[in-house]
Amino acid sequence: MQRLSISWTAFLLLCLTLCSLLTPAVSVKHENFKTCSQSGFCKRNRAYADTAAAQASTWTSPYALQSNSIKFSQGLLTGVVTKQVGDETIRLPLTVSFYENGVARVTIDEEQRQKKDIELRHGSKARKERYNEAEKWAIVGGTTLSSGAATKNGEKKGETRVVYGPAGAFEAVIKHEPFGVEFLREGVVEVVFNGKGMMNVEHWRAKVDKPVVEKKEGETEEEQKARESAVVEGEDEGTWWEESFGGNTDSKPRGPESIALDISFPGYSHVYGLAEHAGPLSLRETRGDSNSEDKTKYSEPYRMYNSDVFEYEMDSPMTLYGSIPFLQAKKRDSTVGVFWLNAAETWVDITKTKSFVKQAVDKVLQNPVSLGVTGSMTTDTHWISESGLLDVFVMLGPTPQDVISTYSELTGYTQLPQMFSIAYHQCRWNYVTDEDVRDVDRKFDKFKIPYDVIWLDIEYTEGKKYFTWDPMTFPDPLGMQEQLDEHERKLVAIIDPHIKNEGNYPIVEELKSKDLAVHNKDDNIYEGWCWPGSSYWIDCFNPKARDWWVGLFKYDRFKGSAKNTWLWNDMNEPSVFNGPETTMPKDNLYAGGWEHRDVHNLNGLTLINATYDALLSRDKEEASAGGVRPFVLTRSFFAGSQRMGAMWTGDNQASWPHLEASVPMILSMGISGFPFAGADVGGFFGNPSKELLTRWYQAGAFYPFFRGHAHIDTRRREPYLAGEPYTGIITQALRLRYSLLPSWYTAFHEAHTTGAPIVRPNYYVHPSDDKGFGMDDQFYVGSTGLLVKPVVKEGQEGQDIYLADKEKYFDYFDFWTYEGPGTVSVAAPLETIPVLMQGGNVFARRERPRRSSGLMRWDPYTLVVVIGNSGDAEGTLYVDDGEGFDYQQGAYIHRKFSFKSSTGTLMSEDLAPEGSATSKKAKDYLRSMEKVRVEKIVIVNAPEAWKGKTEVEVGTEYLASKSGLTRKVGMEWHGREEGKAAWAVVRDPAVAIGKGWKIDFA
Amino acid sequence: MKRVVSLLCLNYAASVYAAGGEGSRPRGVGPEFAKFYKDAVTFSCITNPSVNIPIGRVNDDYCDCPDGSDEPGTSACAHVSPLSPHTPVDQSHARHNISLALPGFYCKNKGHVPTYVPFTSVNDGICDYELCCDGSEEWDHVGGVKCEDRCQQIGKEFRKLDEARQKSLGNAGRKRKELVAEAGRLRKEVEDRLMTLGTEIEGSELKVKQLEGELAEVERREKGKVVRSAVQKVGKMGALVGLAKQRTQELRETLERVRQERDSSRSRLEELESVLSTFKEEYNPNFNDEGGPEPDAAHDRDLNAITQSDKENGIDWEEYEGEEDSDTDVLYAFENYLPVSLRGWVDQKLRDLRVTLIDSGILADTGSSSGESKAVADAQQRLNSARNDLDNSRKSLTEHKEGLDKDFGPDDIFRALKGQCISTDSGEYTYEFCFMDKTTQKPKKGGGHTNMGNFVRVERMTVDEDLPPNGKGLGTCERIAMKHENGQHCWNGPNRATTVILGCAEEGEIWKIMEEEKCVYRMEVGTPAVCEALGQAVPKKADGRDEL
Repeated sequence: MQRLSISWTAFLLLCLTLCSLLTPAVSVKHENFKTCSQSGFCKRNRAYADTAAAQASTWTSPYALQSNSIKFSQGLLTGVVTKQVGDETIRLPLTVSFYENGVARVTIDEEQRQKKDIELRHGSKARKERYNEAEKWAIVGGTTLSSGAATKNGEKKGETRVVYGPAGAFEAVIKHEPFGVEFLREGVVEVVFNGKGMMNVEHWRAKVDKPVVEKKEGETEEEQKARESAVVEGEDEGTWWEESFGGNTDSKPRGPESIALDISFPGYSHVYGLAEHAGPLSLRETRGDSNSEDKTKYSEPYRMYNSDVFEYEMDSPMTLYGSIPFLQAKKRDSTVGVFWLNAAETWVDITKTKSFVKQAVDKVLQNPVSLGVTGSMTTDTHWISESGLLDVFVMLGPTPQDVISTYSELTGYTQLPQMFSIAYHQCRWNYVTDEDVRDVDRKFDKFKIPYDVIWLDIEYTEGKKYFTWDPMTFPDPLGMQEQLDEHERKLVAIIDPHIKNEGNYPIVEELKSKDLAVHNKDDNIYEGWCWPGSSYWIDCFNPKARDWWVGLFKYDRFKGSAKNTWLWNDMNEPSVFNGPETTMPKDNLYAGGWEHRDVHNLNGLTLINATYDALLSRDKEEASAGGVRPFVLTRSFFAGSQRMGAMWTGDNQASWPHLEASVPMILSMGISGFPFAGADVGGFFGNPSKELLTRWYQAGAFYPFFRGHAHIDTRRREPYLAGEPYTGIITQALRLRYSLLPSWYTAFHEAHTTGAPIVRPNYYVHPSDDKGFGMDDQFYVGSTGLLVKPVVKEGQEGQDIYLADKEKYFDYFDFWTYEGPGTVSVAAPLETIPVLMQGGNVFARRERPRRSSGLMRWDPYTLVVVIGNSGDAEGTLYVDDGEGFDYQQGAYIHRKFSFKSSTGTLMSEDLAPEGSATSKKAKDYLRSMEKVRVEKIVIVNAPEAWKGKTEVEVGTEYLASKSGLTRKVGMEWHGREEGKAAWAVVRDPAVAIGKGWKIDFA
Repeated sequence: MKRVVSLLCLNYAASVYAAGGEGSRPRGVGPEFAKFYKDAVTFSCITNPSVNIPIGRVNDDYCDCPDGSDEPGTSACAHVSPLSPHTPVDQSHARHNISLALPGFYCKNKGHVPTYVPFTSVNDGICDYELCCDGSEEWDHVGGVKCEDRCQQIGKEFRKLDEARQKSLGNAGRKRKELVAEAGRLRKEVEDRLMTLGTEIEGSELKVKQLEGELAEVERREKGKVVRSAVQKVGKMGALVGLAKQRTQELRETLERVRQERDSSRSRLEELESVLSTFKEEYNPNFNDEGGPEPDAAHDRDLNAITQSDKENGIDWEEYEGEEDSDTDVLYAFENYLPVSLRGWVDQKLRDLRVTLIDSGILADTGSSSGESKAVADAQQRLNSARNDLDNSRKSLTEHKEGLDKDFGPDDIFRALKGQCISTDSGEYTYEFCFMDKTTQKPKKGGGHTNMGNFVRVERMTVDEDLPPNGKGLGTCERIAMKHENGQHCWNGPNRATTVILGCAEEGEIWKIMEEEKCVYRMEVGTPAVCEALGQAVPKKADGRDEL
């Protein structure tokens, strides 16, 4: 949410329109953000890597695991890695953990820092250890050590082999000298650590006047000389002790302390992840020449340093608002993942080589049959972080779902959101008065457009003081929220982490007097500049600050907030207008003495964590009744933030390229364990054309998080203002989203329990189809089989959709039949969203349009059975109260619907474990749902054999238990016509959605 | 025509008046549709009569008819709408006709006014008392909802309000009449004035003619009597130059003052800009604007040139003041000494002056140094004065004619309100609207007023708004709107503009102010001036009663 002059917007839009297809539009202020060469540790490590690569045959990594230090017990291997620097031996304690879920974790620390045996410069009060608390924030489970992991007998000298994982299919080969680890699955090397010798742990050293190039172990004079000339830049002490950028000097009291490691994926052609970046889902190589014509390679590494990037550019490795240092590598039939747990500024270089690598040869030798399967492409990654531990988790798959579910087990599953929060959100910077809000609310009803949430940006506050309301413009917030509540609508209000530094503002006075703010390098309160002007920042790493924050949201503290008030935490990178790279100086100090540099990427997570807790506990009455699930939207995030709420892709622009980029960005979030993601519909900056706005709503209807938003300088663009035909088309898209909410909610439940993405790229759904590995402009919705490819180009009236499998697909709106595999053309005039239904699936919808999702609670369901080539179809539905935690006590409905062609029956079976619904809450809930029925069953591609049939037989478990009777209900069958599938509709089977039943079509 | 449009401004658009007996209509069917539901065996969909279903399928909560007419009492057909996504299943019977045959669920609202509730609101668990005061649309009590019948109370309140509203409208109608009368009076005044002016002009013309004759006569008499005027201390040229000098000095002072004002404004601007540029420098992303406009350097140079002392400017007044002989030549060349920017203006003025001087005999023509006699000059002056009067009268005539032709809205009504202002407080501002003039935003905390647009024209526009129970709103119909444009420029935006949309009210009052887009405002204003139809209807109704 930022300011921008109209003229700039217009200029940028023009640029984007004209140049988008040819070159990336240059709009971001590059000079505000560092390149690798401007970031000392990145430059040093890249130079180190260049040296290693240049001397590939002779290069020896100076790291060695001391064989006699190795201990292994109960899934935990410990030892000491040494780094030889001249005569000096640096001791780096190593742990390799093997977890029950098949995850292996390699952690390297530094003994001298661990023992606090170092001296800080400038009298700094910072902690002396390497930051070792990222785990505390990011990891919530999946770290039970595996008792089954065992060292392998008959291992070669100089290496330790540990067999672990499901059925002992995984193996870690820990090489002693030089230190490195190979991870094998079923005998095949899938992941290699330090195979290129780029591992680097910058040990502590006292500052000396003249730097000398250390002689490495076993190095000749010539080699040393050569290295000296090669690494002269890398060893330039200029970036060791302090660094300046943009007028700010980082005092670096601990000197250089970066860590780096190369991780190779032999045989893997694609890597995904490293969110958040505005670029393709399949990550690009980063060692390209910036002057080269070849734009498929970047010249900069992917950077992760959460930043408020104004007007971010398309197709760039530049950092954005959040970071998830999790990466998946993909080759045919195999997916592996690595999770680099480090919250400091991190850069990742990616290179791919086509050479036939050694590992591939190994594999061929072991399993000659797999020759055709093994790709000849190898992907190498080089991870570089400024400080902290070297701490990496390895997941060996082999399916994308295996990798994502283990990652989610570690960092937490995405929150099961309240139903309203996956419906439509209407936002604008700003709805200016409470009357304005009421008016927009009425207008939606008037135009029969459903919406659930209206948002307030910063202007609702009195002078940007959070927890206050402008008494002039919002004299009656509670009355306003009562009106919203009449139709079960919600308000989301923004609260940012910067607290205005102004007299007579109790919040800031408490913040100061209780010493709960972030400190500067001199350990005094840090003052910076943000929306309110001079501000302080809450330090959510401080438990006292979190407690205080939690208290601020009580209704009697945050006056004017109500039960239907939810929260938006923006600017939590943190964004500091006058700070280096628009954030805090790295030598700022947090509770416990950690430097900002150590925790930067976690900052946003800690804030929403506190806000989440606050919303959980603000209402005693509610809490005692079981509580209501909080809703928090965040802009900044880290691994683990998914547990607390939703994210959006920040301040995008009303331009076609930004609409186009939103799809891969959201897909990338989905496979990074944070699937509750969306982009501002319509584009934040600038005024979208009506066509763009309409297409954006159509795409947005398939974002997991669906919010329209607009900058303060833009024209109003609520859907009802567009005029016909646009308003009608947008309303259809919104109503489509609402009708499919049961399926969306089911997908969220699946994400909540398995980590599965909500919108799924081709590689995830079809892991054996390498043609789809690079595809990121179409996706499946949950497990519904709905395949969507939004139109993202101006004037485009058709869409080529790739069908990976040998299966029938049907147009959602007219049942036109397509046959995979291959690419098919789907007509997509403005009023049409390209959505196909994959054969073999059953999904649920609710067809009655209502004013909000809350008012659909008691509506009947329609089941859509899409019969494919096999003749069978299957799908699930998850239902609960959509707001509380009673589902954890069994108060939910979870059904599997399966149609079997062999028997001609459609069955509803319970997926809830037996005995899960014994609590009172569960029983009450199920009773309340007894009258909610299935009103219609649509069978797409209905068998020809049903021709002439007018009735089907319905048997229900509740009827059957009484008398064993069945009853007949009507069915209508319609034959194929002009390329469209035959279909049938069962008229009101009147079976309860929560009960077991069977419909016999035979 | 106007009347018809106004009558469309229904206060309660959804109101339905009971027609025909109650009978036993299916749930949700309004009396005017009762005839479709009479058959005891089959029901034919209203707009698709070829589709017949057993009567038992009416209101069975399953949508059978393509037009939704089989579910008048449930929400089962609520999706029958062009606003919903459709598949072949919904459109099997009528692919191109997906709209409802019924206006909604009929709510009897006994004790109040019957209405139709949208099907989307039927059995959704929410009591929609605003439309359905008897709560009958929640007959299924989904989720345990129970909507008690509140029609007695709501109806009573409604009638009370309605009565007050009607009364108020009656008053408004009378007020409008008064305004019309006032407007008529004002118009009459103008027309009268026009008449008077016509007469005045005729008289002036006669006078001019007469004075022209007189002047000719005086000139004739004075001919040959011309003598060189007495030597003055300062020659005519000297006087002229003195005059020019004085005027130039005045101009210069004014310029200096204006420049000071501008500079002080600019320094305030700079001060503000420096605040912004602090942002900009310290955090460019958020304040990308280059601030206010660059000072116009060229313009500034001109101003500097003008305000320099005359010697520096190349004008040596003494040269002229002492000079007596080569007067007019100097006069012609005089402007050459002025800065270019001023030269044109001074040149023009001097020429005019000289021509006037020559014409009035103060300055001799073609270099002659002789002056006119006093008698001639006096005559000339009388003539000029008369001509002036004539011109003024003519100008006034044109103005009044224009004023008469100007659009003051229907019945010329805004003539009566011109210049009248109403205001209201909203947030931290007081907003003011002055009829046929402008809209203004005034900060309550003090500080400068902001012009939100100057009146440009009267327009008609269609609005579609909810009408609050007190009737203070626009409703759905065509309304009179006043466009105001070219208000104060907005930082990062356009010049402010306001559309004032007028609704009928007893008193002039601002109902609502919205910033529809950045610096584009919309005001909803009540005034008796637009109570046309109602204003006429109410007294007529009264008349009718009298007749009974």
